[in-house]
Amino acid sequence: MTAIAQDRPTQTHAEVTRDVVATLGTHGRGYTIMLGGAVALFLVGLITFVLLLKDGLGLAGYNSPVMWSVYITTFVFWVGIGHAGTLISAILFLFRSPWRTAVYRATEAMTVFAVMTAGLFPIIHIGRQWLFYWLLPYPNQRYLWVNFKSPLLWDVFAIGTYLTVSTTFLVVGLVPDIAAVRDHVSGWRKKIYSICSIGWTGSDNQWRHYSRGYLYLAALATPLVLSVHSVVSWDFAMALVPGWHGTIFAPYFVAGAIYSGVGMVFTLLIPLRKVLHLEHMITVYHLENLAKLTLFTGSILFYAYAIEYFVAWYSGVPAEQTTFYLRAFGPMWWAGWTMIICNAFVSQLFWFKKIRTNITALFILSIFINIGMWFERFVIIVGSLGNDHIPFAWGQLNPNWADWGILAGSFGWFLMYFLLFARTFPIVAIQEIKEMIPMPRKRTGGHR
Amino acid sequence: MSKENTEDTSQGIDRRKFLSVAGVAGLGTVALSGCSTDRIEKLIPYMVGDEDNVPGIATYYASTCTECPAGCSLHVKTREARAIKLEGNPGSPINRGRLCARGQAGLQGLYNPGRLSGPQLRNADGSFSDVSWDEAITLLAERVGAAGASVAVVSGAGAGTFSDLLAAWVGALGGRLVRYQPFDNEALRAANQQVFGRNEVPTYDFAKAEYILSFGTDFLETWLGQVENQHGFAESHGFRDGHMAKHVYLGHRMDLTGMNADEWHAIHPGSDAAVALAMANVILSERNRAPNDANTLRSVLAPFTPERAAEESGLSPEAIRLVAREFASQPSLAVAGGIASQHRGATEACAAVNVLNYVAGNVGQTIHFGSGRPQGDGYGALEELAAAMDAGSVDVLIIHEANPVHSVPRAANFAARMAKVGFTVSTSSVMDDTAAHADLVLPNLHALERWDDLQPRDGVHALLQPVMMPVRDGKAAGDVLLEVARAVGGPLAQFDAASFEVYLKDRWAAVGRQRGRHDFRVFWTESLASGGLFDEPAVGDVVRLAPGARNVGYQRPTFDGEGDLVFAPYPSSMLYDGRGANKPWLLENPDPVTKITWQSWIEIHPDTARQLDVREGEVVQLVSPHGTIEAPVYPYLGIHPGVVATPLGLGHTAYGQYADGRGVNALDLLGGEDGGGFLPYLSTRVELRKTRRFQKLAKTEGNPRQLGRGIAEAMPFAAAVEGKTVAEVHGGPHEVNTELEQEAIVGWAEAQREKSLEGDYAGEHPNWGMAIDLSRCTGCSACVTACYAENNIPTVGEREVVRGRELSWLRIERYFEGGEDGEPFSTRVVPMMCQHCDNAPCEPVCPVFAAYHTPDGLNAQVYNRCVGTRYCGNNCPYKVRYFNWLSYAHLGFDDPLQLQLNPDVTVRARGIMEKCTFCIQRIRGAQNTARMEDRQLADGEVVTACAQACPSGAIVFGDMNDPNSRVARAGQDHRGYHVLGDLNVRPSVTYLAKVQHGGEH
Repeated sequence: MTAIAQDRPTQTHAEVTRDVVATLGTHGRGYTIMLGGAVALFLVGLITFVLLLKDGLGLAGYNSPVMWSVYITTFVFWVGIGHAGTLISAILFLFRSPWRTAVYRATEAMTVFAVMTAGLFPIIHIGRQWLFYWLLPYPNQRYLWVNFKSPLLWDVFAIGTYLTVSTTFLVVGLVPDIAAVRDHVSGWRKKIYSICSIGWTGSDNQWRHYSRGYLYLAALATPLVLSVHSVVSWDFAMALVPGWHGTIFAPYFVAGAIYSGVGMVFTLLIPLRKVLHLEHMITVYHLENLAKLTLFTGSILFYAYAIEYFVAWYSGVPAEQTTFYLRAFGPMWWAGWTMIICNAFVSQLFWFKKIRTNITALFILSIFINIGMWFERFVIIVGSLGNDHIPFAWGQLNPNWADWGILAGSFGWFLMYFLLFARTFPIVAIQEIKEMIPMPRKRTGGHR
Repeated sequence: MSKENTEDTSQGIDRRKFLSVAGVAGLGTVALSGCSTDRIEKLIPYMVGDEDNVPGIATYYASTCTECPAGCSLHVKTREARAIKLEGNPGSPINRGRLCARGQAGLQGLYNPGRLSGPQLRNADGSFSDVSWDEAITLLAERVGAAGASVAVVSGAGAGTFSDLLAAWVGALGGRLVRYQPFDNEALRAANQQVFGRNEVPTYDFAKAEYILSFGTDFLETWLGQVENQHGFAESHGFRDGHMAKHVYLGHRMDLTGMNADEWHAIHPGSDAAVALAMANVILSERNRAPNDANTLRSVLAPFTPERAAEESGLSPEAIRLVAREFASQPSLAVAGGIASQHRGATEACAAVNVLNYVAGNVGQTIHFGSGRPQGDGYGALEELAAAMDAGSVDVLIIHEANPVHSVPRAANFAARMAKVGFTVSTSSVMDDTAAHADLVLPNLHALERWDDLQPRDGVHALLQPVMMPVRDGKAAGDVLLEVARAVGGPLAQFDAASFEVYLKDRWAAVGRQRGRHDFRVFWTESLASGGLFDEPAVGDVVRLAPGARNVGYQRPTFDGEGDLVFAPYPSSMLYDGRGANKPWLLENPDPVTKITWQSWIEIHPDTARQLDVREGEVVQLVSPHGTIEAPVYPYLGIHPGVVATPLGLGHTAYGQYADGRGVNALDLLGGEDGGGFLPYLSTRVELRKTRRFQKLAKTEGNPRQLGRGIAEAMPFAAAVEGKTVAEVHGGPHEVNTELEQEAIVGWAEAQREKSLEGDYAGEHPNWGMAIDLSRCTGCSACVTACYAENNIPTVGEREVVRGRELSWLRIERYFEGGEDGEPFSTRVVPMMCQHCDNAPCEPVCPVFAAYHTPDGLNAQVYNRCVGTRYCGNNCPYKVRYFNWLSYAHLGFDDPLQLQLNPDVTVRARGIMEKCTFCIQRIRGAQNTARMEDRQLADGEVVTACAQACPSGAIVFGDMNDPNSRVARAGQDHRGYHVLGDLNVRPSVTYLAKVQHGGEH
């Protein structure tokens, strides 16, 4: 009964444009504080990175055998965050889920910035950062080529493709909205928005091509939702390390990625809708649907965790069994339980409609989801590397300021872009919201 | 050209400026490159090269190791006139081409950053200032001339020409000479005097013994030349053709030697004499093959029953009888006199073991007297000298190659007594604990920079020669003696040789003439080239029991103090008496037992630790009546529950940047008084007090248990004799796969094998491989230092080791077995380096092909190409890839340590992955040599640094494609297995399982 009523905006076309355009340009105190915080975090990361360049990765808490730790954890975390965006914007578009409209622009932006953040890590985390371009296959006079057998190279391509496609998708979706903004601003801003709207007039012909193109892009982006995180998961699954070497990794990681991505959508949108006064556009209805998606992917994670333990036991491989035993009862038990509680158990709370529809609860739980999913990767990476085949060589990680500095910097970098985006471009898709509004009798033509 | 000369130009334009201008003007383009620096350094071009010094080709000089009294012969590898590696001289009967970690680290004494730049004279305020050699010699001559007979010299120099000169020099003055080594086996010599009438240390033939019984004696670590002992031990105790000696260790602590025993019994400290006498009693009463004159001991031994010994030692009477019978029934050898077991009754204990050996008929069989091992004057003589110093009857004290301020307990007040001497002189080349208290320091040249010789035993005349220009402005102590003699004249006028080199050559000319070698030049050159004269060892003297043998007995030794725990300091197998503490190679080579580096620690039994509620890393105080030390706890199952142990060697008050302030000196807990001619190390009881502080131990071990993963495999002797494989011993492979899966795995492996025979991988290339015999490997870690030296591996220091970042390409993994729930405690060791897998997991994951496979089966790492993703390190199941986290090459080689670097091996930058290369530089070097000589490479021509150093010959390297190579044959051995073989990575290193006696009686 209420579904239809809730999913239809009650405003007129003109109001929608007005409200969204109002989010641009001027901004309040809350926004300034958030942006300032983001830039400060980014600077922390930047300084840490400069020190890493100067002295070496040894500044961070790495040891042998834990040669990947907080940086790769954060890398996978951000790649995962990127997944919800494309899922919501492309797959749900193809499935014609009406509730995506209010949130998809924000999630798409989140995707692009999350992948941009993740893309920094292959540079930050390597030993000789200044040679990162050696990972790219480019013709050179030394006849050096890259190793296409290496999952890390697959990563380069997967991330590169994902960044390209999701950026294109975001930009294409933005064009009609930028045109709408263009029509409502004046002065130098009008000039810039005019350039960005690349001559959009809203003619029927343009709309016809636009809808077709958008559909194809959605179709193109859809397989990436599955493939990118599968490829990232193979960084681990292809290796011999007990705790990594599992066939379940690809679906397990994809589900985890969407789970974490949706969690991050909550974390971002709930404050943002308040700060930008968009409560009437991004409603409880939308958030509840996202919560259902969280429940679904969280339950897949629950299953995956259980099956990992089962396989470790069933395989009869002592190294595998030890790794999983230590995950729960070893020196890093706290990380292991953080992951299980925040992901497997917290997601189950979304069975309750009261929780799904309580915005404060959603926000708090989304923080747990973010923490849980970061720890999932931490447990998989650090927890497995610390105790693999040769007991004599075991070692525990002691993360330090350089680890946390880069982690903080990545959040700063991401939030900085996201906040700037939210102020510069329509964070809610004007044209799609308008599509949801029942057709007025008389077409006024164009956008207002 | 020095800076002063160039800048002294009145025209206001100096040479550099002129040339710069000239360069800009196009007159001399060469000068352009000279403008970048303001510092002018002396550059000495190779105008005329030394004829035996070809750039790029190593030159080897023979010399002799002075890092302990064993007298191993060296081959010093030099490149471009710099010594870069110390290796064993295969011609020496002592070390047979092998060298221990301490010997190899002698190089870091040569290039030690702490070496003094010239003579140092103490100022009134206690600081030192530089003086010239002329001034220093003049000053010393004045003092010596004035002091005359009240000159005293403490010398740790081994027997040889220098020691003879020193003795004659001091004798001519009428002064007093004390030949002093910290671990001088005074008790053992006294016992030999008592029982056999021979005041000497015999040679022990471990190779011939089929039953080795050690009474707390660490013959694989510090006792009487570990290299020689290890060789003999490996010969007898290494499994070969169905034979293997049995080794039983009776001692309060399982040291490395105990770790290599088939049985270890933790007897109460100080009870060894009771056990030995009881065993002798059993043997004699059951009369196996005791010599006739031993019968006279029957009545003496009768009161020493196994029951009484059992009461004293904590062993069971049955165990004592059993060991005694086994001991007597085959060629055997019992050793005693280990420093760690030197309690107040040490002479008694050694005498008891002498009797045990005698009644078992070992004297003359596995123990040979008449070896002519040099003797020191013992701790007693040093104490007498100290008393004389205290009394003010010494005016000039010269200390040479000794560091008594560190190696004598603080309670003996040696430093304070030095202050009572008018003038003290040290010849130490670094400012060590003793030199810091001296008035004048005359830095001796390092052993690799000077002429000398040593006679570590009869038949060995080993030479030392300068292999390069001195690193610092030192002067050989021999030259100092001669120059002082020239200045003093009078009684010293007889020492008129122009230099010590001339003096030495004169002596050798005489030796040559004795041998009928009248052409001295040829004789000298030949001797120098071979490292000296190595004669066939003389047949040992026949010894009989002396009357004193009837005085053997046992009294429970006394311990100072009232504490609950007996304190057992022991010589560190890396740092020896402390002289290793300024060498990073030794500090970072993990202790073979505890795997701790860079630190002092206190070993305590886990049960005792639980009772006292202390845990690993908890800093505790040990308090004895003589002093206090503070160090972190290391719970160790291999120690008697009533004993705490701490290694010697650290806690220097001065010894250069690496040793200063590092660790504690365990001797601080001991009393200084003579225990009957020797220093009783095992003579105090201590009380343990908690400090509530913790310190992370810098140990390289993660988890000491194998967790059933079959990394260090072992099999019972009986199974080995039957030719069983490791899998058979385990009762077949622990199968978890179904038959179909099994087929698939085997099929996959087979497909991989076939693939490996195609193309570049087909037979025309060698396939390098290694075999490591774990029944020979003792875990001594000589290979580890060899690897550091050969491959320019930087030491990373204590802090980085704590963070688990050591770069030891080759590590010795030590695993504990049993020890809980009443199972006997034992250990296993396994050297772990890159396994050069044929199906290497590290190679496919590298995105830039930095890790790749060479056609000859090596798993290569291209440092230049590596960007440092570290994926290879993660995917390596053996964890033998090491990442260069910080600029360790800069941090690890303090000036001038970088001069030791091997020019054939890249010094790795930070940010790249590095690992064992199977010494690829040696492989390519040997291949090039063979190609130049137009011949095939022979088996055994390529020797990796680890295999070369290994004192027990456990490592064999070669071409697996050659079915006749030693490594290929070793690979076929029934004991052969691959670590983590079921991962199908197909490693190129085959391990031969350890064999253990036990359970067969």
